[in-house]
Amino acid sequence: MRTYILKRILGVVPTVLMITLVVFVMMRSVPGDPVVPLLGDAYTEEDAIKVREAYGLNKPVLVQYAIWLGKLVQGDWGTSILSGRPVLQDVLVRLPVTLELVVLSMGVALVIAIPAAIIGALRRNTWADYTATSVAMIGVSIPEFFTGVLLLLFFSIGLGGLLPSSGWVYLPGTCPMMVCGVSLWGNLQHVLMPAIALGIGRAALLTRLLRTSMLEVIRTEYVTTARAKGLAERPVVLKHALKNALIPTVTVMGLQVGFLIGGAIVVETLFAMPGLGTFGIDAIIGRDYQQVQGFALVTALAFVAINLIVDLTYTFLDPRIRYA
Amino acid sequence: MRSPRLRLGMVASLAVALVFAGVTTAGAQKRGGTLRVAYGNEIAGLDFHVTPGYEMVWVATNIGCGLIGITTDGKFVPDAAESWTISPDGLLYTFKLKQNVLFHDGTKVDAAAVKFTVERIIDPATRSSMRSFMDSVHSVEVIDPHTVQIRLKQPYAFMLHMLAAYRMGLVLASPAATQKFSPEERRAGKPEAVVGCGPFKLVEWVKGSHLVMDRFDKYFVPGLPYLDRVVIRVIKDPVTQMAAFKAGEIDFIADFSADHVDTLRAQNPRAQVMTGKETTPMVAMMKVTVPADGKPMSKERGPHAIFNDIRVRKAIGCYGIDRKEIVKIAFKGQATPWLGIIPPGTLDSVDVTPLCPYDPARARALLAEAGYGPQKPLVFELMTNTEKSVFSVIATVIKEQVARIGVTANIRLVDKVSWMNTATQDGPFDMYVEDLASLMVLDQNTFLSASTASWNSARHTDPKVDEYYARYAREMDPVKRKAIAREFQEFSADKLYWNTISGSPFYQVSQPWMKDYVYQAEFKVLYKKVWLDK
Repeated sequence: MRTYILKRILGVVPTVLMITLVVFVMMRSVPGDPVVPLLGDAYTEEDAIKVREAYGLNKPVLVQYAIWLGKLVQGDWGTSILSGRPVLQDVLVRLPVTLELVVLSMGVALVIAIPAAIIGALRRNTWADYTATSVAMIGVSIPEFFTGVLLLLFFSIGLGGLLPSSGWVYLPGTCPMMVCGVSLWGNLQHVLMPAIALGIGRAALLTRLLRTSMLEVIRTEYVTTARAKGLAERPVVLKHALKNALIPTVTVMGLQVGFLIGGAIVVETLFAMPGLGTFGIDAIIGRDYQQVQGFALVTALAFVAINLIVDLTYTFLDPRIRYA
Repeated sequence: MRSPRLRLGMVASLAVALVFAGVTTAGAQKRGGTLRVAYGNEIAGLDFHVTPGYEMVWVATNIGCGLIGITTDGKFVPDAAESWTISPDGLLYTFKLKQNVLFHDGTKVDAAAVKFTVERIIDPATRSSMRSFMDSVHSVEVIDPHTVQIRLKQPYAFMLHMLAAYRMGLVLASPAATQKFSPEERRAGKPEAVVGCGPFKLVEWVKGSHLVMDRFDKYFVPGLPYLDRVVIRVIKDPVTQMAAFKAGEIDFIADFSADHVDTLRAQNPRAQVMTGKETTPMVAMMKVTVPADGKPMSKERGPHAIFNDIRVRKAIGCYGIDRKEIVKIAFKGQATPWLGIIPPGTLDSVDVTPLCPYDPARARALLAEAGYGPQKPLVFELMTNTEKSVFSVIATVIKEQVARIGVTANIRLVDKVSWMNTATQDGPFDMYVEDLASLMVLDQNTFLSASTASWNSARHTDPKVDEYYARYAREMDPVKRKAIAREFQEFSADKLYWNTISGSPFYQVSQPWMKDYVYQAEFKVLYKKVWLDK
């Protein structure tokens, strides 16, 4: 197991390098550079040339990438061209917000998907199954921003500000700044709507997937045997059927992390959350190359790490799976 | 019947009561509290003399102080300077400074600090956005610790306007803090590096999260500010802004989307929606010249294939565009159809819009004269960007309007940075829709439209424009200046190097408990007299 984990961690390096290189080259292919927004009203061609030289933007793209990589190896993620702030510092400030959002939205997705899929599979072709399937279809079809706006209108305006419309309150002990709102209850209030908005689409997808898996599993011989042995329906479904049906679902959950980070950009913008999503989109819009690289790097690392965790989860779900 | 004595007594009692009522009102301001502000866009950085963007300006004017200020009716009022004199030839400005003004780092605001600040701005290495406005400054001399003289190369009628309010006006910089910290540290908003002499001091700026300013207890105006703290958050989505406002999570929206004003009013009858005469022009700019050698920004210029021909400019920009229809559709009628080079709310603005009546027949005739018609249809590209939805609406209406005169406009939608790169770096475009900088005075538009300006995105090369600006800025007689302004605006409407469509309305919204805030359009957002009645 240890060797397997080590191999996987080493395998992360080329993946992350490839992702960051592709992002690096793509960003520089997009029209415009950060010099114009940086100079603003004071723009002159001479100033622009000087600034490009100062930031090394006049060098060939691959040379720029090598310089960025060289600094990264030394722990320097670079400095934002537009704000002048260290990228790593900003990433660390924003990472906990997005992490919490992604984890909770996945939690929301599972809380909805597991019971809906079980009901759908066990009561196939009944009104409960049709309802679960239809709701899942609607959930997949509605984009996050629309769900978010509906939630906002309902909970923040319709119910007289029951849930706060925007901003962020940190969990106790996690405030990375001088001035923070800190409270467990406040944090929950702030994360609830964004997590639902982001999680509901994933819930729909997982419901459909898990229902199909459950349908296959409940027809297998070992489930029939378990029932024949006189086991109660609950342990048959939860221990024997669900655990095995979860394997493809867990794989998809890992892959869904990428979509969740993409969705976080929309949801964080809508709910004005200081997370990595808004950090990434601001960087792309402003052509802040260093910040974009920071965003790409942390996203790639998160994606790879979560998929590693997913792979390790298989051993828990199916003891026959062993990594050497 | 009451005796005259009794009546006199009643009148006296009423007068006393009114006086006391006045005292009570004047002293009713409550101290303390946190003002929660929403901005629609991110603050770009906090090097006040360098960083672009209104969001930065609205922070700078609260953290910084200047020599003078300007009221909404155009009167100049003391800030760090207690008085000033101007020599009869208009070349020497002498400012007497208040003795009790301190920077947030505890150092004194003295004549040396003023000299340091002006020289920092005019130093090309600083790359200050204010530098072009200080072209007239010859030198700054320290007469004594509290007297400073600014000598000009030539008379400049808008010297005080510039010091008070061009962009953020002259925001004084602490020499000690400026020399100690790097430009990157200032830009990044390190609190020790961002030192002003205004009513609030910077506590923390976390980009993408919040900016916090606390009351500066040693602010030189006794009793001000009233607020303990100002917290600024960026909420980009107007729907979220409305929800936060309705839920009472924010007290003030510094720039509210014109598209959503009616909805906000309907949802929040007690909301104070503030607006005024438009000071920002909405333009459909046409490119006049292109680099002859193919190198952007080249001084060697050649004619633009379509819009260098004044007949085509007038056919499209003058007679082919129905400004009233654009305003009706894009702004629901809540803007002023306009043609002049400066918008309706700018000083010395003249309505020259009747010079360009919507006249499709005349537009067709001009196009035919220029060689365009069914055999050779005119096709041009209309660039717009994603910053505001209204740009695309206007572009679509223009496309429809020019189609009526047999012209095809192909809309190219780009993001804001791509637009900036193309427009300001002499990139390829035919026409773009955008609202440009807010203008207090005609003179302020030099940086966008003089032939030598880097932001002269039409890239016209007509020195007559520069001559008008120079004559206007150097004329010290306001009556003669107004006449020059009129002549210039008529000239501009005739040449159409600059093609205004309308004013661009600006809105701010506050809760009913936010008191004594004075609306000053985009120019200033000041919290020093604001207090919270809750």
